[in-house]
Amino acid sequence: MEIIQVLSYGILLGGLYSLLSSGLALIFGVLDIVNVAQGAFLVSGAFLTWQIWDLTGIEPILLIPVVALLWFGLGIIIYRTLFVRVAPQGPSMTVLLSFGLALIIEGALNLIFGNKFKSVQTSYSLQSYKLGEINFPAPQVIASLAAAVVLVLLYLYLKLSWAGRALRATAQNRDGAALIGISHRKISSFAYGLGMATAGAGGVLISVSYPIYPATHYEWISKLLGIIVLGGMGSIPGAIIGSMLLGIVEAAGNTYAPQWTILFFYGVIILSLLFKPEGLLGARSRKDSV
Amino acid sequence: MKSLRFTKAKKIAVLFWAILILIPVLLPDSQYEQSLLIVCFLFAIMASGWNILSGLAGYVSLGHSVFLGVGMYTGAILGRETGVFTFYFAPIGMLTAMAFAFLLGSITLRTRSHAFVIITIAILLSVQLIVSNWVELTGGSNGIIFRSPSWARTAGNTPYYYMFLVVLVLTVALVRFIMNARLGAGFISIRDDESKAASIGINTTQYKVIAYCLSAAPYGLVGAIYSQYLGFINPTGSFSILISVYLVLAALVGGKGTLWGPVFGGFFIAFANEASTVFSGGISARVLIMGVVLVFTVMFVPQGLLVSVATMLRKRLAKDKTVEFINQAAIAERDAPLNLNNVKRAPSKAKADSSESILQVKGLYKSFGGVKAVNGVTMDIKRGSITGLIGPNGSGKTTLFNCITGTYGADSGIVIFNGTDITKMQPWTRAHMGMGRTFQITKLFKSMSVLDNLVAPLEKPSARNMLANKMQGEEVERAREILDFMGLSSFEKSNVSALSFGQQKLVEFAQILMLRPDIVMLDEPASGINPTLIERLSKAIKKLNDAGTTFLIVEHNIPLVLGLCDYIHVLSAGEIMVSGTPEEVRNNEAVIEAYLGPDTLLEGLDV
Repeated sequence: MEIIQVLSYGILLGGLYSLLSSGLALIFGVLDIVNVAQGAFLVSGAFLTWQIWDLTGIEPILLIPVVALLWFGLGIIIYRTLFVRVAPQGPSMTVLLSFGLALIIEGALNLIFGNKFKSVQTSYSLQSYKLGEINFPAPQVIASLAAAVVLVLLYLYLKLSWAGRALRATAQNRDGAALIGISHRKISSFAYGLGMATAGAGGVLISVSYPIYPATHYEWISKLLGIIVLGGMGSIPGAIIGSMLLGIVEAAGNTYAPQWTILFFYGVIILSLLFKPEGLLGARSRKDSV
Repeated sequence: MKSLRFTKAKKIAVLFWAILILIPVLLPDSQYEQSLLIVCFLFAIMASGWNILSGLAGYVSLGHSVFLGVGMYTGAILGRETGVFTFYFAPIGMLTAMAFAFLLGSITLRTRSHAFVIITIAILLSVQLIVSNWVELTGGSNGIIFRSPSWARTAGNTPYYYMFLVVLVLTVALVRFIMNARLGAGFISIRDDESKAASIGINTTQYKVIAYCLSAAPYGLVGAIYSQYLGFINPTGSFSILISVYLVLAALVGGKGTLWGPVFGGFFIAFANEASTVFSGGISARVLIMGVVLVFTVMFVPQGLLVSVATMLRKRLAKDKTVEFINQAAIAERDAPLNLNNVKRAPSKAKADSSESILQVKGLYKSFGGVKAVNGVTMDIKRGSITGLIGPNGSGKTTLFNCITGTYGADSGIVIFNGTDITKMQPWTRAHMGMGRTFQITKLFKSMSVLDNLVAPLEKPSARNMLANKMQGEEVERAREILDFMGLSSFEKSNVSALSFGQQKLVEFAQILMLRPDIVMLDEPASGINPTLIERLSKAIKKLNDAGTTFLIVEHNIPLVLGLCDYIHVLSAGEIMVSGTPEEVRNNEAVIEAYLGPDTLLEGLDV
């Protein structure tokens, strides 16, 4: 029974991680940027949710479209003002730029909200659903379900819309896409905005299921980056598989050896790199050499 | 002019060290200043160490302070167990940090990917967690407290000041040594173009791991001293990500990839940090300020302050210099001598026996998704021949090259070179065995001079070779001779990106001759270059071939191929369509059809 409990916790965690890490994978796949600021975007989204909830008492889940849309716009602005200038210098400079952004956000959140843990209390905060003997904490279930919904919407959008096709085309072959009239600059800022929107939506979700604190963005980002390394950097399906796997590992760690959980988490990643250095679904693409 | 500037730079360096050595002597009451300078030294040491991996080899680490923590705890634990001061264990701290880097690097640096930068953050957080939880060894989150030395009351910080200074001097000396050695040239070549580096004999995995270990060494060394200086250590302080922020920032602000940039940056950031503590206080404000400085630096002075200022000065100095006229036609016509022993291996191997194969490809397949780029190629390259490989665009010529040289692994099939099955070997091993190749779009190391590009290839992977000074010894003589032979000697000091595309093609050809190759594989050597240079090129090919070097040439310039080659393979849709002498290929109807369309008559072609 315990195993099933662990597995179901793991899948719930994995569902949330799937959404959070796919934005990161999207940004990397299209833009070749390791967006270290993603964790800070996530945590700041959570703080915004907390602030609105604190003022109005609104059900936080309803804020997903609002925060996502806001973050989408912010992402486009950030890309167009900052990244567009640094992108030609390659990934080693864009990673430093996003690191700088993360620090600015952390510092700003600290100054605005102070160094205190905040958490959103909802009617279901302390509830849990029971299925037989298995316990499902309500906030986790709701966060995970909402993450799945957002992820499906994102998937459909990427699959069906022109912008989604253009985005995938750019990820596969940037110059080829430019030749058939896809503006690299526009699609790049769009991709960055989309990636940031997932962080906004994710921020709402973590605000109901986790205590929030500015410096937690380091833990988030290293977890999420670990997931996409495991899954194979630019691959969204890879990110989802990695999320599920590591969600289960984390749940198992929490149950059997709580103080070592994070170590299990990274241990799995490092082990997998030993056997498959390019990640589970990562392929060495043609552009790597030539 | 140049030598004058050199001595000036040297004078500044000597003055810098002299002032630092004399400060405690001249100002005995300067405890505060010394403690501030100790922080400067620490930041400069860390930024310089980081620079080896991230500045020279181009692999950014965002969790490098983990090695400081490793050094601190190594010293602290050994000190606690033995009852002596932690700084006596500084060398052991260094070795521990290097061993740790070796272990991590062997896992995370095997591929060329961005996974590394990500793993570095995870490693920092993981180690912090281990140290917090392994209470028996580390004292857990309570940390470890040390008794202070008896001299601390009278001598204050001064002994520490000198310890940190010594480590700084050692670190700068290490970076200087690396930058002057061929090892450093190898690091930079990885930063500029990793797959190219592998093709000229640089074992990129090994180099990256070495860079990682060397960059960790100063951290381990200074860590054991630092823990005694602090008097108390705990996991959150020793493995703080903020230290990583400071050191990255220091290297970047000063100028990564340079010798003095990170030192300057370390001082700069230490002073800035002190100022922000004095004036604003709170750690939140400091994080914010560091973030702003980082973003600002990346956006506006990505080269770093020191480099930007130096570039500005150099431009001002160069303003009045006249531009030198280079008579390219005269150079192209001049015949420079070439000692053939300098471009080929011991004669026993290179003996031209036309019946023997030097390179055999058997049933080679390679596909990308649904595209079968190479679809079952079998061919035999005779020793001492000049073999042409022609075919329409997209027929798989370059992919075949990449499979032969190991840039890609083939899906199936084998490649035999000099009697050895090399199918599973790494590109650098193939280069060491005498295989040299150029690229369709030249891949030279764009941040290096022409001469540096020539000394970068590693013919033999010996430690002596790697540690040798890159600008001394017979390698440089060889490089100069080959450049002269190619008519490029007047460009020796130019940056390769200042050269025309055709000249770059010749430089790349010259570069692979440094490997003393048995076989030279040229990918479209004549495309985009002018007739004078083509002339130069074919002369060089013929001369080397006369001496026994085998050539395999992909080329679209049909007259050149027909004139130069003994034997030609025609590739079409990933398969060999026709093979034969130039005469046979020229008259083959299928070839004519593939190249010129069905209705074209050969008479119209001027060959």
